[in-house]
Amino acid sequence: MASTFTSFALTFELVARCSVTRARASILTLPHGVVNLPIFMPVATQASLKGLTPEQLEATGCRLCLNNTYHLGLKPGQEVLDAVGGAHKLQGWNRNILTDSGGFQMVSLLNLANITEEGVRFLSPHDGSPMLLTPEHSMSLQNSIGSDIMMQLDDVLVTTSPDKARMREAMERSVRWLDRCIAAHKRPAEQNLFCIIQGGLDLDMRRECTRAMLARDTPGIAIGGLSGGEAKADFCRVVATCTELLPDLKPRYVMGIGYPEDLVVSVALGADMFDCVWPTRTARFGNAITKHGVLNMKREMYAADFGPIEDGCGCPCCRPVGEEGAMGITRAFVHHNAAKETVAAHLLTLHNVWYQLELMRQARAAIIEDRFPAFVREFFANLHPDPANYPSWAVDALKGVGIDLLET
Amino acid sequence: MTPDSQNQEPAVMRFDLLQPAWKHVAAPRLGSLAAPGRALIPTPNFIALTSRGTVPHVTPDNVRKHLETKGAYVALEDFIERPLQNQKRSPPIFQTPLTTPPPPTSSTSPTTTTHPSRLHAFAALPQPVITILAPRRVNAVPSPAGNTNAAVSIFTSTGFQPLTPKDYLAAVRALQPDIAIAPADLTHAATTPPSKRALRMAERTDEWAVDWFADLADHPPAPGTTPVATFAPVLPIPYPIQWEYLSRLAEDYAGTPQLAGLAIHDASLLPDLAAHCMPLLPLPRLSLSAPPTPHHVLRELALGIDLFTLPFLNSVSDAGIALSFSIPPPPLPSGGGLLPLGIDMSSPVHATSVTPLSQSCTCYACASHHRAFVHHLLVAREMLGWTLLQIHNHAVAASFFAGVREALKQGGEKFEEVRAQFGRVYEPEFPKGLGERPRARGYQFKSVGGGEGKKNKATWQKFEGEGETDGQVEGDGQ
Repeated sequence: MASTFTSFALTFELVARCSVTRARASILTLPHGVVNLPIFMPVATQASLKGLTPEQLEATGCRLCLNNTYHLGLKPGQEVLDAVGGAHKLQGWNRNILTDSGGFQMVSLLNLANITEEGVRFLSPHDGSPMLLTPEHSMSLQNSIGSDIMMQLDDVLVTTSPDKARMREAMERSVRWLDRCIAAHKRPAEQNLFCIIQGGLDLDMRRECTRAMLARDTPGIAIGGLSGGEAKADFCRVVATCTELLPDLKPRYVMGIGYPEDLVVSVALGADMFDCVWPTRTARFGNAITKHGVLNMKREMYAADFGPIEDGCGCPCCRPVGEEGAMGITRAFVHHNAAKETVAAHLLTLHNVWYQLELMRQARAAIIEDRFPAFVREFFANLHPDPANYPSWAVDALKGVGIDLLET
Repeated sequence: MTPDSQNQEPAVMRFDLLQPAWKHVAAPRLGSLAAPGRALIPTPNFIALTSRGTVPHVTPDNVRKHLETKGAYVALEDFIERPLQNQKRSPPIFQTPLTTPPPPTSSTSPTTTTHPSRLHAFAALPQPVITILAPRRVNAVPSPAGNTNAAVSIFTSTGFQPLTPKDYLAAVRALQPDIAIAPADLTHAATTPPSKRALRMAERTDEWAVDWFADLADHPPAPGTTPVATFAPVLPIPYPIQWEYLSRLAEDYAGTPQLAGLAIHDASLLPDLAAHCMPLLPLPRLSLSAPPTPHHVLRELALGIDLFTLPFLNSVSDAGIALSFSIPPPPLPSGGGLLPLGIDMSSPVHATSVTPLSQSCTCYACASHHRAFVHHLLVAREMLGWTLLQIHNHAVAASFFAGVREALKQGGEKFEEVRAQFGRVYEPEFPKGLGERPRARGYQFKSVGGGEGKKNKATWQKFEGEGETDGQVEGDGQ
């Protein structure tokens, strides 16, 4: 069986499959280099990963990060992007970039938006000026950005919306907008356009949408509209339903996912790519992600804690002084400067991004060595010393793909 | 300084001058400052100012890799706050474990001995960086209560508190900075103190110095530890008011290992020192006068300052300005007009400029990025903008001092020529910088009388003016 899919601007090679779950390890080759999947993609909303230099980001092993089309469209604006030669040149980042379409802002800024078949009319929260986002305009912006992976403009509705008719309209409109995006995409040889499966929490509608999207044969597929406040069990059902229908040889991207448990479970359900602002945002609030959970470094208990942010962590902050590129940062130092000097935010951002990337690297290694179920068990055991505290949504979702977390 | 003394690692902090004659003058001079385990600092030079142990916006890995500085000025007041929820705690920095880094496995640095210090360990400062500890920040917030005979009033992130010279010395012993600045009675006000206050400043500082050196003499360092290298303050008051204190320094302590340098708050006093306090002249001179521009730096250099702290570096970076001056200065532009000392990167003229921040600069920011990116970051209020500007501005300062040293190698006349040319070519002040600043924090400045208004305008507002009075998230941090 062939294990490689090639498109104009992308090669996807399936390397290994978990023999129990739907987890997969693969190699995605994009215009700006090779990316190992599964992967977490940090979000550099405004062409900057919150205080880190592109050099520091690259040193974490990151080979694919996000930029936000909506924000780059406002600042620096399309004219500047064209003049500079795209977002890679703007930010001095020679690795891959994925851009969203701006559609997510419809959820987050809904009362500012008016959605019609033509597109979305926003009022800029920066200055109140009107901004029309059509599929054509989104493509034009993303062509100017030059992202390696572009996302279609979709009609996003909060998944918890009770309005079934509106949900169906949004799903069907997203399919129509994909056609307009494909037609408007000017650089298909250099940039990949991914479709986004919509349909809320209605599994039949998701299946219908998946089939319609697959018929358009985009080089990659995203599952969208999630991470909007729905129950985790519903989220897992949607991901599992979609991945079941998806072809093996295309990358699968679940949008807006970032909590470590969500990542691990989604990998088990057969997803490959994830993004979320949470790891970097929570860093700025003084929170460190560790394998034993999230620690708030602002708490007084860390004031005189001279251990690393996380024992055994391989990030440049946590490794001891004397090792190449290591800083030997202590919890006490982060506590000392959290919410006071930007450096504390930068250090935690660096640590959290490393944690997320490393989690996916370890998951990948486990899949390749076919010990992924053991990896999942160890991950949950680290997070919850008492199995009674395992989140039931995760237990159920994993049971559906052959892992019984509570098995002794 | 002989060539071989440079290669030898000193057992204590030492300052060498390139020409023996320079030990007896208050004039520009070439030298080098060396501390055990740290990188050598050729002088004249500058050291970076830290806030709460960090160079603002620059993480320690970037300090090591990209920041052109070999020294860090650290204020004790940044570390000894008493948090509301735990007023009685001993400041954590004093409990920092002293871990010796593992010896390097490669043979690249076979003889390098490490000199761990609590200050280095707590703030994750790179080992080569020389640390200078002082009770207060440069440009310290004036204390409304003022100092007393018994204590300096310091400003921590939880408010003002007294710091006795004895406690400060204990902190110095615990933290082991490479250089400690002895306590001074300063007003930190913009105006010169009235003569009665000035006299008290001299008397207190004198008394504290006597106690300081007596304590050092009574408690010699344990074998194997480095003795405290003290820089004694020279106060920003006329020489006739502090002559007694200064002559005590000259007569009793100059030449002993305890007095290692001078921390000079007003370089105008150097001619007086040259005239009256000859024994103090071989000592390295660190300026704490906060020169507002490089023109002022050149004036202080001419008077004989060896090392500078430059608060303008941090403030111009926050203002969105990329420094653009150099020594030797370029010729005056033919079209008339003066050259700017810095370029406001928030100006829209840079929006699509893919040129480096300044053409000849080789710093990380200039080598890897361009004006359009820094401009975008400033407009978008992304923190990386200030990081890149800090890296660039410290590199400009480093090459400015390299230029000064190069001129001095060609003699004092060459230096004067370059200095005069600098004054003719460059504008007298930095551009204003119209970009928005990062948030100011309560420990950095204190409202006097109130009513200053918000420093930055609110980034986000509620839609269509609903609830206009609230939701102003980005304030001035008070």
